Amino acid sequence: MGEEQVVREIGHDEYDPKGTLALIGVYFVILLVMWVFMYFVEFLGNELTVV
Amino acid sequence: MNIHNYEKVWLMAAILLIVGFISTVTYGATAVGVDMISDDGGTVNASALDEDPRFSEPRVEQVGENEYEAYVIAQQFIFRPDPITVPANSTVTFFVTSPDVIHGFEIVGTNANAMVVPGQVTELTVEFNEPGEYGLLCHEYCGAGHHTMEGSVVVQPQDEFTQGGDE
Repeated sequence: MGEEQVVREIGHDEYDPKGTLALIGVYFVILLVMWVFMYFVEFLGNELTVV
Repeated sequence: MNIHNYEKVWLMAAILLIVGFISTVTYGATAVGVDMISDDGGTVNASALDEDPRFSEPRVEQVGENEYEAYVIAQQFIFRPDPITVPANSTVTFFVTSPDVIHGFEIVGTNANAMVVPGQVTELTVEFNEPGEYGLLCHEYCGAGHHTMEGSVVVQPQDEFTQGGDE
């Protein structure tokens, strides 16, 4: 059933999921910002650190 | 094996992230000097704290220039002494133990936060800079009065400080 679909085959190296890369990049940046904030601001900036 | 370029980028970034995490913690432990709560305080007989040389009289005592030791008992449902009075610009080592059940010892809103286990002496050292007052509370459920178990740590200006629990 259905009509003919246009099928285009590409090789391994031609497959470039730029959107996925951008999304992962954004996640990565969020992770970095959260880590810096959590450790350097929230943790080290919290007075009375055990020494 | 054929690994896509994007995948290589992601793998490398993930490895760098792990290296970054580990070096941050290393930086904290070495350059900043953040320490763990230790069990160097040793053990005590929880049912005979009143005969223990350290805990028979909960107190703050001076052990060096600007160095103090605070012996604190956390019990149902108070902290002794209360308030714990320490001078500003000092380094205070807390030795905390419990005669009954597990308690918590948290100087509210700070990183000074530990468990207090009967028979075990929790040891933690902190530096007090500015005069002021901190809350102190138990954050381990210890019985019906747990929610009322609180104390305070008063940081007095150095010239006003009088040593508590003098013999």
